[in-house]
Amino acid sequence: MRIRALGVAALATLAFAATACGGSSSQTPAEGTASSAASSAPATAGGTLVIWADPNRVKALKPFADQFGTENGVTVEVKEISKDNQTTFLTASQQGSGPDIMIGAHDWIGNLVQNGAIDPVTLTEEQKAAFSPKAIQAMTFNGQIYGAPYAVENIALIRNTQLAPDAPATIEDMIAKGKELKKDGKVKEVLCLPVGQKGDAFHVYPIFASGGGALFGTTSSGDPDPKQVLLGSEGSVKAFEKLAELGEKGEGALRTSLTNENYIPTFAGGKCAFLISGPWAIGEIKKAGVSYDITAVPPFKDGQPATPFVGVQAFFVASKGKNKALAQEFVANYVTNKDVAKALYDADPRPPALSAALEEVQASDPDAAKFMEAGKDGLPMPAIPAMAAIWEPFGIAETSVVKGGDPAKAAAAAQKAIDGALKN
Amino acid sequence: MKLALRHVFVLAVCAFAVFPILFVISAALNPLGTLASTELLPTGASLENFGDLLTSETYPFGRWFFNSVFIALVSSFASMVLSLMAAYAFSRMRFTGRRVGLLALLLIQMFPQFLAIVTIFMIFTRVTELYPALGFDTVWGLLLLYLGGALGVNTWLMKGFLDTVPKELDEAATVDGATHAQIFWRIILPLVTPILAVTALLAFISTMSEFLMANVFLRDPDSKTLAVGMYGMIAGDHRNTNFGMFAAATLITAVPTVGVFLWLQKYIVSGLTAGAVKG
Amino acid sequence: MTTDVREPGRAAPRPRPERTTAFVVSRIAVLGVAAAILLYAVPPLVAAESWVPLTLLCAATAGISYLYLTRRFIPAKYLIPGTVFLIAFQVFPVLYTVTTAFTNFGDGHRGDKAAAIAAIQSGSVRQAPGSPEYTLTAALRGEELVFLLVDPKTEQVSLGTKDGVEPLPGAQVGLTGKVLAAPGLTVLKAPEAAARGQEISALAVPTRDGLIKANGLSRAVEGKATLVYDAACDCIQGEGGPWQADESQGYFVNAEGEHLAQGWQVNVGFDNFLRVLTEPTISRYFAGVLGWNLVFALASVLGTFALGMSVALALHHPRMRGTRVYRIVLILPYAMPAFAMLLVWRDMFNRDFGLINQLLGAEIDWLGQTATARLGVVLVNLWLGFPYMFLVTTGALQAIPRELTEAAAIDGATPWKAFRRVTLPLLLVALTPLLISSFAFNFNNYNAIALTTDGGPFPAENPMVGGTDLLITYTFRLAFGPAGAQFGFAAAISVFIFAIVAIISAVAFRRTRKQEEVYA
Repeated sequence: MRIRALGVAALATLAFAATACGGSSSQTPAEGTASSAASSAPATAGGTLVIWADPNRVKALKPFADQFGTENGVTVEVKEISKDNQTTFLTASQQGSGPDIMIGAHDWIGNLVQNGAIDPVTLTEEQKAAFSPKAIQAMTFNGQIYGAPYAVENIALIRNTQLAPDAPATIEDMIAKGKELKKDGKVKEVLCLPVGQKGDAFHVYPIFASGGGALFGTTSSGDPDPKQVLLGSEGSVKAFEKLAELGEKGEGALRTSLTNENYIPTFAGGKCAFLISGPWAIGEIKKAGVSYDITAVPPFKDGQPATPFVGVQAFFVASKGKNKALAQEFVANYVTNKDVAKALYDADPRPPALSAALEEVQASDPDAAKFMEAGKDGLPMPAIPAMAAIWEPFGIAETSVVKGGDPAKAAAAAQKAIDGALKN
Repeated sequence: MKLALRHVFVLAVCAFAVFPILFVISAALNPLGTLASTELLPTGASLENFGDLLTSETYPFGRWFFNSVFIALVSSFASMVLSLMAAYAFSRMRFTGRRVGLLALLLIQMFPQFLAIVTIFMIFTRVTELYPALGFDTVWGLLLLYLGGALGVNTWLMKGFLDTVPKELDEAATVDGATHAQIFWRIILPLVTPILAVTALLAFISTMSEFLMANVFLRDPDSKTLAVGMYGMIAGDHRNTNFGMFAAATLITAVPTVGVFLWLQKYIVSGLTAGAVKG
Repeated sequence: MTTDVREPGRAAPRPRPERTTAFVVSRIAVLGVAAAILLYAVPPLVAAESWVPLTLLCAATAGISYLYLTRRFIPAKYLIPGTVFLIAFQVFPVLYTVTTAFTNFGDGHRGDKAAAIAAIQSGSVRQAPGSPEYTLTAALRGEELVFLLVDPKTEQVSLGTKDGVEPLPGAQVGLTGKVLAAPGLTVLKAPEAAARGQEISALAVPTRDGLIKANGLSRAVEGKATLVYDAACDCIQGEGGPWQADESQGYFVNAEGEHLAQGWQVNVGFDNFLRVLTEPTISRYFAGVLGWNLVFALASVLGTFALGMSVALALHHPRMRGTRVYRIVLILPYAMPAFAMLLVWRDMFNRDFGLINQLLGAEIDWLGQTATARLGVVLVNLWLGFPYMFLVTTGALQAIPRELTEAAAIDGATPWKAFRRVTLPLLLVALTPLLISSFAFNFNNYNAIALTTDGGPFPAENPMVGGTDLLITYTFRLAFGPAGAQFGFAAAISVFIFAIVAIISAVAFRRTRKQEEVYA
């Protein structure tokens, strides 16, 4: 009988040992690093390269990782992180248990750089030329390229060609058509664009931009300038007024009850003719058997161009990785290969950043090129850390005007909140 | 008549308990199931989502299921034992620091746990370097971590129950020359099965749904638990496409919990025990 | 913790128990386990030369072995196993978190100064204009790692060492541009080079105005750091500089007051705590948020307890049929993954698409108005939480002898009176700590809010604080939102929130103390 209690005690002691070790690293950081190098050296004698990816990409990467491993006589481990990937990567990296290569979105770059978590990657002129210029532009931060892009994505207007055979030339046309269809009882919603109770800056941005709105001023070098937030500017107030006109008290095209969860199913169920979304929506639309076409989000009549945000998915080299040379080799010289881009596309159909891969994909799937075309004037999502301060106040202002709130007040409140957060 | 009223009341609560779940069942059976479908009754019924889930290449659901049940069983058993031992000491013995210790158990749980993740990384980075078998990506490391929560409110629950077991029982045994270990294992343990079963079930459920630690701890697709794996299914843009499978997974997740409950139910409500307690 | 450890029953001297077989076996087992632990745990520590942890480990093992070898310290024998884990994975993280409250730990300030300098320098390396992108082959000159650099345009081969670059005649270049063989050198094949990855990363070949460094295993470029740390002035020289180290902020700042992106962690004293107290965005809304937070926590605890206990009592009747099935149905909400069900509930509250409006035939914007949103989150929390209360009450009810209630009934008490006078007080003895703990949990129930309303609805004129925001969702939005993760600030907030919860709980706890002593 006692023995069982003893087994527990044994476990307990082990845990105590663990505490003791944990305790030491806070007191003696220098010793900690020394010992980590000492103990990791034998482990990596054969060489291990660790890649962190989100669940959807792990399977697609595995064969290429293994191939790279065989060619270089190393073990490549692809690990999967489901949630809070960026913060988990930062915390793990700083504590020394992060990966050698991280997969993520380009708008992380600003924050990853200020935390010293990733290294620039040198691509040859030839390699750079092989990518879409938008992708390279997005990956460039402070004049350096941080990582290898593999997919470019942006939102576009997806329409149900049975309900709306012609692509609308302006937002006004689109709304008119949508309202007509709704009146005839053919659809339930004028436009499927997610708003929700907290707004959705990403999806509404093309319309906001077309209405004359802007987020940041630009620095002399052309980068977004966090010191000049423009949400409260005259142009942005006008744009919020336009959103209010489209909102619940106006045309009824923007509604808070349309959320990220239901806007694609509503379109796929044939309950609205127009959807503003990205490549990720296509799978579900195809499954539902809706005939569709993809065009750029139209602008307002006499408005500015309706530029969507462009997001880029990329491989990053971790600064604190244990095997940096291999990681650089993988990111700069291996991932930039067409087959890898193609496999990642097959796993998750987002237009490849590599032009050659895009062309190949295009043959079997015209959607990729259509999305690319819709985003050709798009704005790479600002990668500066200050962008994090924009999303929420912008979204709340959006929801408020969509519900019929005063655009000038909402814009001013958002501007104030952002300036406060950025200490401008 | 009174019984009928009881039934009416319990049925009403059951309806409240079940109605959101019907929604999940509907999504699981609907081949086009999405989080947004408004119909409580599915438009089409098929087991397609369950089939997709069990045969998925991307999501090794079977492995997750096994991992979760294994971790939850081991950790709930171990924490039950640890917790009972502590509760026994707190209930039956008087020593300095008893009240403070009890209060501390309650208070320590009140600190927002949100930030602990940084420290957990710190501890286990070192452990992984020194003892890879207990480090990141191992079930054993995660189990150790879960045992950190073994003492806590469950200890209080057991202590409360032990307090109701008459002291005369163990005093009599002491007079007969039994050691404290004999009293603990032979006299106390059989008397407290209802509460043991309850705490084991509570620990089982909380381990099954634990997410925060498991997410940073288990990174191999095959080593994940259900909660982490399922979160990945609906993370990001794949929420809608996978929702049918996700709903199916949610339902299957409830199966082991219900199973454990079925198994433990007879201990939780056993009239025999109530008789024995009276001594 | 345990100085006076005698059980009350042992106060009287009684004959020393004889050394039974069980006693001997258990003691041998103690020594065996202790030895096994030491055998497993010591060598890695010795190899890593971690003497402090090693000493601690040995002391702990010795202490715990002694504890189980001796006949004394009986309470400790029962408490130590759980306590060890508690200290390692709960107490230590909490204490560590509290210490970070005194630092600026957060995005931009995660690491130490050396790491910041390294990141600044390596991030500032620009490829020398017009310099070739060499094809790299790693090789060995004796034991020394060297670079064989091929200029792809001229096909000229150079030898790069830590001393500089020199032409290398007689090398044989393959089709890929890599060197196949060179006189006097051992060319490394891919796996051999990969195994020396760390050395390859570390080698810097000096040139006239820069350094050639490997970029992967097959390419090397000549680059120049545009920012360089100068220990003499403790500053970074270069573009836009000099950037002087400012130890109070953990940044390198220049004369214009700008700073470099990469900073380091420094102690900031009580700044984070002062900020919690003085920041107008916190203090202005504090009272309102706290008020709702208390209502939310109380409503959640009392609601779940009332409902859970009622069903448990309804089923606690000897002639009740179908209890097994009922019980299974009742714990279902608890068996489902909470995060999934929170999302389901959120969508059920949708004005135009949600199930609830559809059933009611209403057009209520549930989560879009403060009053209904608050009602909604409390309802969701009731659904999620009542099975827990149901389970613990069911368990606790088993400890209440039925004779007590039956006796009350014989005395002529109505069932309600019997419940108030007998059952409820007895239940509360066992369950009060759970109710307190449940209050604390709900007070900080981040997920219940974050996954349903995310604090909303937000008034247009103030995007900072929403109608259903709890202290923890509201303040953590400040700490983790706009300016990246500010762990130090968040830790200070946690300390304050902990203080509030702990005080409320301690007061509630004192009130129950008498009850407990009476019954125990």
